[in-house]
Amino acid sequence: MATGSHSNRSGTDTFGFDWLSVALVLGGVLLLYYVVPMVSLFLSVPAGEILAQMINPTVVDSATTSLLSASISTVIATLFGLPLAYWLARTNGAVTKIVLAVVVLPLVLPPTVGGIVLLTVFGPSSPLGEAAIAAGFPLTRSLAGVVLAQTFVASPFVVVTAKAAFEGVDQTLEYASRSLGKSRWTTARNVTLPLAGPGILAGITLAFARAIGEFGATMMLAYYPRTMPVQIWVAFIELGLDNAYPVAILLVLIAAAALLILNTVASNPWE
Amino acid sequence: MGMTLELSRLRKAYRQFDFGPMDLTVEEEVLAVLGPSGSGKTTLLSLIAGSTSPDSGSIQLDGRELVGLPLQDRHVGMVFQEGALFPHMTARENIAYAATASDRVDELATLFELEDVLDRKPPTLSGGERQRVALARTLATDPDVLLLDEPLSSLDAPIRKRLRDELHSLFESLEIPVLYVTHDQRTATALGDQIAIVRDGDLEQVGSPSTVLTRPTNRFVARFTGNENLFDGTVIDRTADGTTVQLSDIQCRTTASDIHTSTVTVCIHPSRVEIEAPYIADGDRTANTVTGTVARWLNEGSEYRIDIEIEAGSFTLTANVRPPTFERLALENGSEVQVLIPQDSIHLIPGRD
Repeated sequence: MATGSHSNRSGTDTFGFDWLSVALVLGGVLLLYYVVPMVSLFLSVPAGEILAQMINPTVVDSATTSLLSASISTVIATLFGLPLAYWLARTNGAVTKIVLAVVVLPLVLPPTVGGIVLLTVFGPSSPLGEAAIAAGFPLTRSLAGVVLAQTFVASPFVVVTAKAAFEGVDQTLEYASRSLGKSRWTTARNVTLPLAGPGILAGITLAFARAIGEFGATMMLAYYPRTMPVQIWVAFIELGLDNAYPVAILLVLIAAAALLILNTVASNPWE
Repeated sequence: MGMTLELSRLRKAYRQFDFGPMDLTVEEEVLAVLGPSGSGKTTLLSLIAGSTSPDSGSIQLDGRELVGLPLQDRHVGMVFQEGALFPHMTARENIAYAATASDRVDELATLFELEDVLDRKPPTLSGGERQRVALARTLATDPDVLLLDEPLSSLDAPIRKRLRDELHSLFESLEIPVLYVTHDQRTATALGDQIAIVRDGDLEQVGSPSTVLTRPTNRFVARFTGNENLFDGTVIDRTADGTTVQLSDIQCRTTASDIHTSTVTVCIHPSRVEIEAPYIADGDRTANTVTGTVARWLNEGSEYRIDIEIEAGSFTLTANVRPPTFERLALENGSEVQVLIPQDSIHLIPGRD
């Protein structure tokens, strides 16, 4: 649900003119710090050269791997995340708090640590990992490994954002629907999901953006097949900074697309 | 065959509030549930509707046990305080969502005069239109019971009055139990065939509007229904056709004859107190007559509220007087008046609580 924009009162009332100027200057410096490197990236390489490198097989392969794995991870995160988000939104108590803390854990955990944690369960020397290799479906150094890493770090975005979206749907509307003789599922499909839709989409978008940028845990679980962030690392180490630009630019464009979605069809959770 | 809703020993404990145990039977009639906020009115509705489950007790609808049944299987229609319309659907879609047959939408739209707003979404509707759509939506399911949770409380006075009249005629055409929750005594007496007064999760009194208004069973009910004149009295004589009560320094005679305690609460509804110019003896000669002076008065629109200091009693009696009477007597602060209280307008409550 869109929360509507709150009109801010003029800051001068509370801070006085001087304080506002100081805030503007400090904020301005920070803004420049964000914008200048972005512009610099696009100016670093001639446009023609970037386009030429875009069709380089290693770039295409990594983009394919990333888009595919991030899509799968996002679908998994949504499938498992929405029911959990709904449950979290509709229950209160100590258990809810603990479960929420568990969900947030991957968000605050350093991704490389996440990778190590996952390796203890899915790694080649773990029972599960061994069994998977024996079955011809290795969970590391494979697309499955990429998906496992991405889902771990990205799915909390779906849960946390969708939870807030579900909480924005007045529970009275659900009671109303059910008192009209509609089942829980019909109610969810016709009332809850449409009303929470923009917030859920925001969660999905954030999860996708996080998944496609995932590096730390992916490095631990699946160096191959290379995702875009891993490809950037390899190109930077082996061939120098210039060779990392094309993929970096691709990722910046994907991030920009995610922002576009957040500010149009989805409801920006930070607005 | 009448549809009957029957609650027995219905209980629900909350941390700071215990609902029930409550026994209540509602036939094919309108029961207005009247009580202050936090008295358990909404809890009562949500227990019947099924959004809350009781700790114990039963709710039978026409012999069918509702406790344990999920919301959607109860056939209980609920109209929520603010309508609870689905904001992403038009008025038509809201009604159609609930309707069992497609021609019900147009039928109900005609009944509630909604034809012109059917294609608009709830946020663009007025408060009155929203409640009409909510009613239409609930009735579209042909419920076996209709519950209404203060549907008029958020409306402006003129619309509230109009919709109240519409509800009155609607309820007459419905042949199901209707529970109408309100904290407004006028709405309760206007719409209810029966009134149930609730306080702290318990029923204080159930009866017809006139009984509850003029024969409250305790001080709480009396105060809540506008009986402001409550005094401590002592029974001094009791006969088959009435009781004489000592009230401060005066004695008054009442037709009440079913009181068996010696200490009583004397209850006189302000609308039953008549005022005349001093020393003009006309009207009911058997009425209790005392003299007093106007201490203050308040114009409440359709009537004047007058506080009268009773000469012989050193207590203050409140009277509601219609504007013509007020003007004819040219009342002002300090005016001397004759107060007539008919014998059958003095109600006695046992004890002084």
